[in-house]
Amino acid sequence: MNKQRWETRPLEIWGKAKELRAQWQRSINEAAERPGAMLAHGNTGEFDWSIGFDDLTVIEDNPVGAMMASKSDAFSRKCRLASEVRGWGREICGYVQNCWGSQFLGYEMDDGAFPFRDMSIPFPDPCDQHLKRGQQCMDLSPIPRWGADYPMYLGPLDPKREQAFIDHTVYCYLQIIDDIERIFDHKFDDEKMIGSLNILPALREQALRISRLMTHTPAPIGQKELYSFYTLGLLTKVDPKETLDFWTSFADEVQWRVDNHIAAVATERFRWMEAHPSPWNFLKYFRYMEKYGAVCIGSQYSHIISGPIELGEDGQFHHIQRKKPPEGQEIRTREDAFRHIFTEARGYRFKDDEYCRKWTITDFAKGFHVDGAIMPLWRGGVGCTLTRKEQGLRLSEMGVHVLHYEGSQPGDRTDLDERRFLDQLDTWMESLGLEKLEA
Amino acid sequence: MITAGVDVGLMNTKIVILRDKEVAAQRTKQSGGGGRGETVKEIWQDALKDAGIKPKDISKVVATGTGKKDVSFADKTVVEAVAAARAARFLYPESTSVVDAGADMTHVVTLGEGNTIREVVMNQKCMNGLGLVIEVMADRLGLTLDEISALAPAQGKTNPVNDGCPVFAELDALGLLNIGVDRREVAGAVTDAVVVRLSSILNDKIRPQKDTTVFIGGLAKNLAVTERLKERSGIHFLIPENAEYGGALGAAVIATDM
Ligand code: SF4
Repeated sequence: MNKQRWETRPLEIWGKAKELRAQWQRSINEAAERPGAMLAHGNTGEFDWSIGFDDLTVIEDNPVGAMMASKSDAFSRKCRLASEVRGWGREICGYVQNCWGSQFLGYEMDDGAFPFRDMSIPFPDPCDQHLKRGQQCMDLSPIPRWGADYPMYLGPLDPKREQAFIDHTVYCYLQIIDDIERIFDHKFDDEKMIGSLNILPALREQALRISRLMTHTPAPIGQKELYSFYTLGLLTKVDPKETLDFWTSFADEVQWRVDNHIAAVATERFRWMEAHPSPWNFLKYFRYMEKYGAVCIGSQYSHIISGPIELGEDGQFHHIQRKKPPEGQEIRTREDAFRHIFTEARGYRFKDDEYCRKWTITDFAKGFHVDGAIMPLWRGGVGCTLTRKEQGLRLSEMGVHVLHYEGSQPGDRTDLDERRFLDQLDTWMESLGLEKLEA
Repeated sequence: MITAGVDVGLMNTKIVILRDKEVAAQRTKQSGGGGRGETVKEIWQDALKDAGIKPKDISKVVATGTGKKDVSFADKTVVEAVAAARAARFLYPESTSVVDAGADMTHVVTLGEGNTIREVVMNQKCMNGLGLVIEVMADRLGLTLDEISALAPAQGKTNPVNDGCPVFAELDALGLLNIGVDRREVAGAVTDAVVVRLSSILNDKIRPQKDTTVFIGGLAKNLAVTERLKERSGIHFLIPENAEYGGALGAAVIATDM
């Protein structure tokens, strides 16, 4: 039995992270006061609408719904009930149920008024509900809703079809901009949007540094830390430059931890990965696993800030070489900029991996040297479960020990049996010959 | 060397006492709800008496099962899958997998080299407690467990019940009774539903081998279940005579290593 102990300590960057988070919350509160400023579901794609529209603040249901589940079980129950009595079933994504419910109630977790949305631009995901999530706020009051399309075809790659997809997506975005300018009189800042094009790749570089550093033993940080910070790079960014600075400092600190053998889990002897996302109301299982000396090195979901990555022959993660717009093509207009973004983005969402690049899940396991994988099976909001069993099989075939557990959806605790989940973890660990190192 | 294994299940508590790796005594009794710890102590005394020994004669006691924490005198607890694996290899050294299906949980364990485990699959939440489903239905239908075990293979094939949820299965069963379906036919349909669930656990990841898979736990004693499962899965299970004592036996074997 491995008796090695490494030094462990909290990250120094915590203070800055809290500051950024509070800043984002302030921006939401301020936007709620300004008419026409609150945009629902508009920043988890390749583009954040608030970058081009200075007057807009984006609020995404996922982190808000997850936060509700994590911080107040009583409130999220109330929200789900409010949603259910209006006819929405348990199969609906828990994040959405929480947010819709809060909207129906008219207040938030802290009793503050619900920040009603002024417009909604959801985008599709491999879930039948991701795009639907804009519907409820539109039904409640007559606000405009668009769909930021993301066409997909799972058959052999056809360059003509791909081009048509890119054209369609670009024109969708251009149309939405025109509509917002016309309806709300907001001005889209082309220069700022074009200027921000190099920020996302730079952010990805820093995040990739962190992903690579996490392949070390002992892992310098774990899933807990990734979960604490990843929304700061994706869902809640206020100022892109500030976000980039934060991730650069974060990566520097993780590098320092690797250089000094500072571990996320002092007794690390078992490394596991997850499939996205976790039950937000029951994150204590990470600490429970630490009792066995087990560290979670994350999931494709929590390493998402790195962008699409693949394992190179050198055993290290690299960015997938994306398709580049033709050489010498200058980016002068918003159309050029969107064409650039969506040409690069085609087919590289990790959520599409099980269709497009089946090997990435096993590469992920290989690159992070994992011994095990926990793959939840969610009953509602199918997008968070799609292909989990297939991925479990693939991992199991390569010798990774796989554990499945059930729940409703990460934002809904209804079907998650916490006691049973911990029993499953005990069975998993003990059957692999690992006993608890602490009570 | 004398060791003991205590398996506190949802319905029954089982104790096996081993003397030099031979079974010296085995005892079972209903676990009893709230007073489970007390029941364990009572049956412990009975088992000691059967073996003709005193507590001080026992080197080590290992507890397993849902209620393993209720065995106050245990030197160690082990999860059910680990106990099942040891029992399988102890009884059948050539075994490659073991299915442990009781009132509460079902585990399918793929064995590795020696005493190691390659993989464990546990039943998911729906239709959990397969043994309990059969017990409750037997009660509802006014049949004994032996009568259910003796059902003919064809019984229950014409009117199936829901095989995903025990509550729906029970409602379906009551519906069948209401339209005059014979209660043995209904019992057969419920048994089939349980078998469908069991085989889905068997098929989860690594498929168990046809001739080297052991079946223990209370359900292994139910012929209607084992025969139908054999037909559905094609597996010729190795079923020990005292299959319900499998977990306790495994725990007692583990105690010999301590
Ligand atoms: S279940 Fe997952 S994929 Fe589906 S809408 Fe919710 S967050 Fe999106």
